[in-house]
Amino acid sequence: MSQFSVLVQKELRESWRSFKLLWIPLVFILLGVSDPLLNYFMMDILKAVGGMPEGFEMVMPEFTPADILAASTGQFQSVGLIVLITAFVGSVSRERQNGTATLLYVRPISYVSLFLSKWVVAVLVAIVSIVAGYAASTYYTIILYGTVEWDRFFAMVGTYIIWICLVMAITLAMSASFKTVVAATITIILVLVGLIIDSFIGSFWSVSPWKLANFALALLSDYYDKTDFVITLGLSIGLIVLFIIIGIVMSKRNASTTKI
Amino acid sequence: MGELQSIPWALIAPLFIVQLILMIIALIDLSKIHATNGPKWLWVIVIIFGNLLGSIVYFIAGRKQS
Repeated sequence: MSQFSVLVQKELRESWRSFKLLWIPLVFILLGVSDPLLNYFMMDILKAVGGMPEGFEMVMPEFTPADILAASTGQFQSVGLIVLITAFVGSVSRERQNGTATLLYVRPISYVSLFLSKWVVAVLVAIVSIVAGYAASTYYTIILYGTVEWDRFFAMVGTYIIWICLVMAITLAMSASFKTVVAATITIILVLVGLIIDSFIGSFWSVSPWKLANFALALLSDYYDKTDFVITLGLSIGLIVLFIIIGIVMSKRNASTTKI
Repeated sequence: MGELQSIPWALIAPLFIVQLILMIIALIDLSKIHATNGPKWLWVIVIIFGNLLGSIVYFIAGRKQS
Protein backbone atom coordinates (compact mmCIF):
# COMPACT_ATOMS: atom_id res chain seq x y z
CA MET A 1 0.00 0.00 0.00
CA SER A 2 2.83 2.39 0.84
CA GLN A 3 4.38 1.46 -2.51
CA PHE A 4 1.16 2.50 -4.23
CA SER A 5 1.00 5.86 -2.47
CA VAL A 6 4.63 6.59 -3.30
CA LEU A 7 3.94 5.80 -6.96
CA VAL A 8 0.83 8.00 -6.92
CA GLN A 9 2.89 10.85 -5.49
CA LYS A 10 5.47 10.35 -8.22
CA GLU A 11 2.79 10.47 -10.92
CA LEU A 12 1.18 13.54 -9.36
CA ARG A 13 4.53 15.30 -9.26
CA GLU A 14 5.11 14.38 -12.89
CA SER A 15 1.75 15.76 -13.99
CA TRP A 16 2.37 18.92 -11.96
CA ARG A 17 5.85 19.51 -13.36
CA SER A 18 4.70 18.97 -16.92
CA PHE A 19 1.84 21.43 -16.16
CA LYS A 20 -0.77 18.77 -17.06
CA LEU A 21 -2.61 19.46 -13.83
CA LEU A 22 -2.86 23.09 -14.90
CA TRP A 23 -3.42 23.31 -18.62
CA ILE A 24 -5.94 20.48 -19.11
CA PRO A 25 -8.46 21.97 -16.63
CA LEU A 26 -7.94 25.38 -18.26
CA VAL A 27 -8.73 23.91 -21.68
CA PHE A 28 -11.89 22.32 -20.30
CA ILE A 29 -12.91 25.63 -18.68
CA LEU A 30 -12.51 27.37 -22.03
CA LEU A 31 -14.48 24.63 -23.78
CA GLY A 32 -17.22 24.85 -21.17
CA VAL A 33 -17.44 28.63 -21.31
CA SER A 34 -17.45 28.92 -25.09
CA ASP A 35 -20.83 27.34 -25.78
CA PRO A 36 -23.11 29.34 -23.45
CA LEU A 37 -21.42 32.57 -24.55
CA LEU A 38 -21.46 31.74 -28.25
CA ASN A 39 -25.15 30.81 -28.23
CA TYR A 40 -26.03 33.88 -26.18
CA PHE A 41 -24.26 36.31 -28.48
CA MET A 42 -25.12 34.50 -31.73
CA MET A 43 -27.48 37.29 -32.84
CA ASP A 44 -24.86 39.99 -32.23
CA ILE A 45 -22.14 37.95 -33.91
CA LEU A 46 -24.28 37.46 -37.03
CA LYS A 47 -25.05 41.19 -37.09
CA ALA A 48 -21.40 42.15 -36.69
CA VAL A 49 -20.24 39.75 -39.40
CA GLY A 50 -22.88 41.19 -41.71
CA GLY A 51 -23.77 39.89 -45.15
CA MET A 52 -27.36 39.33 -44.14
CA PRO A 53 -29.87 40.37 -46.83
CA GLU A 54 -32.20 43.28 -46.14
CA GLY A 55 -35.20 42.30 -44.08
CA PHE A 56 -33.69 38.95 -43.25
CA GLU A 57 -35.21 37.63 -40.10
CA MET A 58 -34.15 34.70 -38.13
CA VAL A 59 -35.78 33.17 -35.13
CA MET A 60 -33.25 31.83 -32.70
CA PRO A 61 -34.39 28.79 -30.80
CA GLU A 62 -35.03 29.25 -27.12
CA PHE A 63 -32.31 27.33 -25.37
CA THR A 64 -33.00 25.61 -22.09
CA PRO A 65 -30.16 25.14 -19.59
CA ALA A 66 -30.13 21.43 -20.49
CA ASP A 67 -29.51 22.27 -24.18
CA ILE A 68 -26.51 24.40 -23.29
CA LEU A 69 -25.04 21.73 -21.03
CA ALA A 70 -25.56 19.23 -23.86
CA ALA A 71 -23.62 21.53 -26.20
CA SER A 72 -20.78 21.81 -23.69
CA THR A 73 -20.76 18.03 -23.28
CA GLY A 74 -20.47 17.78 -27.06
CA GLN A 75 -17.32 19.92 -26.86
CA PHE A 76 -15.88 17.72 -24.11
CA GLN A 77 -16.72 14.62 -26.13
CA SER A 78 -14.73 15.76 -29.15
CA VAL A 79 -11.94 18.21 -28.35
CA GLY A 80 -11.81 17.36 -24.65
CA LEU A 81 -11.43 13.63 -25.19
CA ILE A 82 -8.69 14.11 -27.81
CA VAL A 83 -6.79 16.35 -25.39
CA LEU A 84 -7.14 13.87 -22.51
CA ILE A 85 -6.21 10.85 -24.63
CA THR A 86 -3.14 12.45 -26.22
CA ALA A 87 -1.99 13.83 -22.87
CA PHE A 88 -2.03 10.44 -21.15
CA VAL A 89 -1.46 7.94 -23.95
CA GLY A 90 2.30 8.08 -23.44
CA SER A 91 2.35 7.54 -19.70
CA VAL A 92 3.35 3.86 -19.84
CA SER A 93 4.81 3.49 -23.32
CA ARG A 94 6.91 6.64 -23.29
CA GLU A 95 8.64 5.54 -20.09
CA ARG A 96 9.55 2.33 -21.89
CA GLN A 97 10.72 4.13 -25.01
CA ASN A 98 13.05 6.62 -23.36
CA GLY A 99 14.36 4.18 -20.79
CA THR A 100 13.11 5.76 -17.55
CA ALA A 101 11.14 2.59 -16.94
CA THR A 102 14.35 0.63 -16.32
CA LEU A 103 14.82 2.63 -13.12
CA LEU A 104 11.45 1.32 -11.95
CA TYR A 105 11.47 -2.20 -13.35
CA VAL A 106 14.74 -3.24 -11.71
CA ARG A 107 13.10 -2.71 -8.34
CA PRO A 108 10.75 -5.24 -6.77
CA ILE A 109 7.55 -3.28 -7.40
CA SER A 110 4.22 -4.83 -8.23
CA TYR A 111 2.86 -4.06 -11.67
CA VAL A 112 -0.60 -3.78 -10.13
CA SER A 113 0.32 -0.73 -8.09
CA LEU A 114 2.46 0.65 -10.91
CA PHE A 115 -0.39 0.57 -13.40
CA LEU A 116 -3.09 1.55 -10.89
CA SER A 117 -1.09 4.60 -9.77
CA LYS A 118 -0.92 5.81 -13.37
CA TRP A 119 -4.64 5.22 -13.89
CA VAL A 120 -5.62 6.89 -10.61
CA VAL A 121 -3.64 10.02 -11.41
CA ALA A 122 -4.92 10.17 -15.00
CA VAL A 123 -8.48 9.85 -13.72
CA LEU A 124 -7.81 12.47 -11.05
CA VAL A 125 -6.58 15.01 -13.60
CA ALA A 126 -9.52 14.14 -15.86
CA ILE A 127 -12.04 14.56 -13.02
CA VAL A 128 -10.55 17.93 -12.01
CA SER A 129 -10.82 19.02 -15.66
CA ILE A 130 -14.39 17.78 -16.11
CA VAL A 131 -15.59 19.36 -12.87
CA ALA A 132 -13.87 22.65 -13.71
CA GLY A 133 -15.34 22.60 -17.22
CA TYR A 134 -18.85 21.84 -16.06
CA ALA A 135 -18.57 24.41 -13.26
CA ALA A 136 -17.62 27.11 -15.76
CA SER A 137 -20.33 26.03 -18.20
CA THR A 138 -23.00 25.89 -15.48
CA TYR A 139 -21.97 29.26 -14.08
CA TYR A 140 -22.61 30.94 -17.42
CA THR A 141 -25.71 28.86 -18.08
CA ILE A 142 -27.24 29.97 -14.79
CA ILE A 143 -26.39 33.62 -15.43
CA LEU A 144 -27.63 33.65 -19.03
CA TYR A 145 -30.33 31.00 -19.32
CA GLY A 146 -31.66 29.97 -15.94
CA THR A 147 -30.98 27.53 -13.20
CA VAL A 148 -30.50 23.78 -13.38
CA GLU A 149 -31.79 21.16 -10.99
CA TRP A 150 -28.83 20.43 -8.79
CA ASP A 151 -29.46 16.79 -7.88
CA ARG A 152 -29.88 15.90 -11.56
CA PHE A 153 -26.87 17.97 -12.48
CA PHE A 154 -24.66 16.11 -10.00
CA ALA A 155 -26.04 12.77 -11.23
CA MET A 156 -25.09 13.82 -14.76
CA VAL A 157 -21.55 14.86 -13.81
CA GLY A 158 -21.12 11.62 -11.86
CA THR A 159 -22.23 9.51 -14.82
CA TYR A 160 -19.95 11.45 -17.14
CA ILE A 161 -17.03 10.87 -14.77
CA ILE A 162 -17.59 7.09 -15.06
CA TRP A 163 -17.37 7.45 -18.86
CA ILE A 164 -14.11 9.39 -18.43
CA CYS A 165 -12.76 6.64 -16.12
CA LEU A 166 -13.48 4.14 -18.92
CA VAL A 167 -11.73 6.31 -21.53
CA MET A 168 -8.67 6.67 -19.30
CA ALA A 169 -8.63 2.90 -18.62
CA ILE A 170 -8.69 2.21 -22.38
CA THR A 171 -5.98 4.83 -22.97
CA LEU A 172 -3.61 3.40 -20.36
CA ALA A 173 -4.28 -0.23 -21.31
CA MET A 174 -3.38 0.58 -24.92
CA SER A 175 -0.36 2.55 -23.73
CA ALA A 176 0.79 -0.54 -21.81
CA SER A 177 0.21 -2.79 -24.82
CA PHE A 178 1.70 -0.83 -27.73
CA LYS A 179 4.09 1.97 -28.65
CA THR A 180 2.84 5.51 -28.12
CA VAL A 181 1.82 6.24 -31.70
CA VAL A 182 0.01 2.94 -32.20
CA ALA A 183 -1.66 3.27 -28.81
CA ALA A 184 -2.90 6.78 -29.60
CA THR A 185 -4.32 5.65 -32.93
CA ILE A 186 -6.12 2.63 -31.48
CA THR A 187 -7.52 4.58 -28.53
CA ILE A 188 -8.81 7.40 -30.69
CA ILE A 189 -10.39 4.90 -33.10
CA LEU A 190 -11.95 2.95 -30.23
CA VAL A 191 -13.35 5.99 -28.45
CA LEU A 192 -14.06 8.67 -31.05
CA VAL A 193 -14.93 6.52 -34.06
CA GLY A 194 -17.00 4.40 -31.69
CA LEU A 195 -18.87 7.55 -30.67
CA ILE A 196 -19.47 8.50 -34.31
CA ILE A 197 -20.71 5.02 -35.23
CA ASP A 198 -22.91 5.00 -32.17
CA SER A 199 -24.45 8.33 -33.11
CA PHE A 200 -25.12 7.14 -36.70
CA ILE A 201 -26.57 3.70 -36.20
CA GLY A 202 -26.82 3.61 -32.43
CA SER A 203 -30.60 3.59 -32.53
CA PHE A 204 -30.54 -0.11 -33.34
CA TRP A 205 -29.29 -0.98 -29.88
CA SER A 206 -30.09 0.61 -26.58
CA VAL A 207 -27.14 -0.48 -24.48
CA SER A 208 -23.53 0.43 -25.27
CA PRO A 209 -20.79 2.11 -23.25
CA TRP A 210 -20.53 4.89 -25.86
CA LYS A 211 -24.07 5.90 -24.95
CA LEU A 212 -23.03 6.69 -21.39
CA ALA A 213 -22.61 10.41 -22.08
CA ASN A 214 -26.04 10.51 -23.76
CA PHE A 215 -27.53 8.80 -20.74
CA ALA A 216 -25.79 11.35 -18.53
CA LEU A 217 -27.47 14.17 -20.48
CA ALA A 218 -30.80 12.37 -20.46
CA LEU A 219 -30.65 12.44 -16.67
CA LEU A 220 -31.11 16.21 -16.96
CA SER A 221 -34.23 16.01 -19.06
CA ASP A 222 -35.86 12.81 -17.81
CA TYR A 223 -36.15 10.97 -21.15
CA TYR A 224 -34.43 7.80 -20.26
CA ASP A 225 -35.03 4.15 -19.74
CA LYS A 226 -33.92 3.24 -16.28
CA THR A 227 -33.03 -0.42 -16.95
CA ASP A 228 -30.98 0.49 -20.05
CA PHE A 229 -29.15 3.09 -18.03
CA VAL A 230 -28.33 0.68 -15.21
CA ILE A 231 -27.18 -2.04 -17.65
CA THR A 232 -24.95 0.45 -19.49
CA LEU A 233 -23.51 1.67 -16.21
CA GLY A 234 -22.76 -1.90 -15.11
CA LEU A 235 -21.27 -2.75 -18.50
CA SER A 236 -19.02 0.31 -18.38
CA ILE A 237 -17.77 -0.47 -14.89
CA GLY A 238 -17.09 -4.06 -16.00
CA LEU A 239 -15.14 -2.74 -19.00
CA ILE A 240 -13.12 -0.42 -16.74
CA VAL A 241 -12.07 -3.42 -14.63
CA LEU A 242 -11.34 -5.47 -17.79
CA PHE A 243 -9.15 -2.77 -19.32
CA ILE A 244 -7.27 -2.26 -16.05
CA ILE A 245 -6.53 -6.01 -15.94
CA ILE A 246 -5.41 -5.93 -19.60
CA GLY A 247 -3.18 -2.96 -18.78
CA ILE A 248 -1.58 -4.69 -15.79
CA VAL A 249 -0.94 -7.93 -17.72
CA MET A 250 0.41 -6.12 -20.77
CA SER A 251 2.69 -3.79 -18.79
CA LYS A 252 4.17 -6.89 -17.12
CA ARG A 253 4.59 -8.68 -20.45
CA ASN A 254 6.07 -5.66 -22.24
CA ALA A 255 8.50 -4.81 -19.46
CA SER A 256 11.23 -6.58 -21.42
CA THR A 257 10.80 -4.24 -24.40
CA THR A 258 12.17 -1.33 -22.37
CA LYS A 259 15.05 0.47 -24.01
CA ILE A 260 18.12 0.49 -21.82
CA MET B 1 -16.83 54.90 -27.20
CA GLY B 2 -20.44 53.82 -26.85
CA GLU B 3 -19.69 50.66 -28.79
CA LEU B 4 -16.98 49.64 -26.37
CA GLN B 5 -19.07 50.32 -23.30
CA SER B 6 -22.03 48.38 -24.60
CA ILE B 7 -20.00 45.18 -24.59
CA PRO B 8 -20.77 43.20 -21.43
CA TRP B 9 -17.20 42.95 -20.22
CA ALA B 10 -18.17 41.19 -16.99
CA LEU B 11 -19.31 38.23 -19.09
CA ILE B 12 -16.46 38.03 -21.56
CA ALA B 13 -13.51 39.02 -19.34
CA PRO B 14 -13.07 35.58 -17.68
CA LEU B 15 -12.73 34.00 -21.14
CA PHE B 16 -9.81 36.28 -21.98
CA ILE B 17 -8.24 35.85 -18.56
CA VAL B 18 -8.30 32.04 -18.77
CA GLN B 19 -6.86 32.17 -22.26
CA LEU B 20 -4.14 34.56 -21.11
CA ILE B 21 -3.24 32.27 -18.18
CA LEU B 22 -3.01 29.30 -20.55
CA MET B 23 -0.74 31.29 -22.86
CA ILE B 24 1.50 32.38 -19.96
CA ILE B 25 1.79 28.80 -18.67
CA ALA B 26 2.75 27.63 -22.14
CA LEU B 27 5.39 30.36 -22.42
CA ILE B 28 6.81 29.61 -18.95
CA ASP B 29 7.00 25.93 -19.85
CA LEU B 30 8.66 26.80 -23.15
CA SER B 31 11.32 28.89 -21.42
CA LYS B 32 12.08 26.11 -18.92
CA ILE B 33 12.09 23.14 -21.25
CA HIS B 34 15.37 21.77 -22.53
CA ALA B 35 14.43 21.09 -26.13
CA THR B 36 11.27 21.12 -28.20
CA ASN B 37 10.16 19.38 -31.36
CA GLY B 38 11.16 21.98 -33.89
CA PRO B 39 12.73 25.38 -33.24
CA LYS B 40 11.75 27.21 -30.08
CA TRP B 41 11.10 30.60 -31.68
CA LEU B 42 8.46 28.95 -33.90
CA TRP B 43 6.61 27.73 -30.82
CA VAL B 44 6.69 31.24 -29.32
CA ILE B 45 4.91 32.51 -32.43
CA VAL B 46 2.44 29.60 -32.42
CA ILE B 47 1.58 30.13 -28.74
CA ILE B 48 1.15 33.90 -28.99
CA PHE B 49 -0.76 34.05 -32.27
CA GLY B 50 -2.49 30.69 -32.15
CA ASN B 51 -4.75 31.75 -29.28
CA LEU B 52 -6.30 28.76 -27.52
CA LEU B 53 -5.33 26.21 -30.15
CA GLY B 54 -1.69 27.34 -30.23
CA SER B 55 -1.15 26.60 -26.54
CA ILE B 56 -2.93 23.22 -26.77
CA VAL B 57 -0.90 22.19 -29.80
CA TYR B 58 2.29 23.21 -28.02
CA PHE B 59 1.48 21.13 -24.94
CA ILE B 60 0.53 18.08 -26.99
CA ALA B 61 3.05 18.16 -29.82
CA GLY B 62 5.76 20.61 -28.85
CA ARG B 63 7.13 19.14 -25.63
CA LYS B 64 9.92 16.69 -26.23
CA GLN B 65 9.52 14.02 -23.59
CA SER B 66 12.92 12.56 -22.98
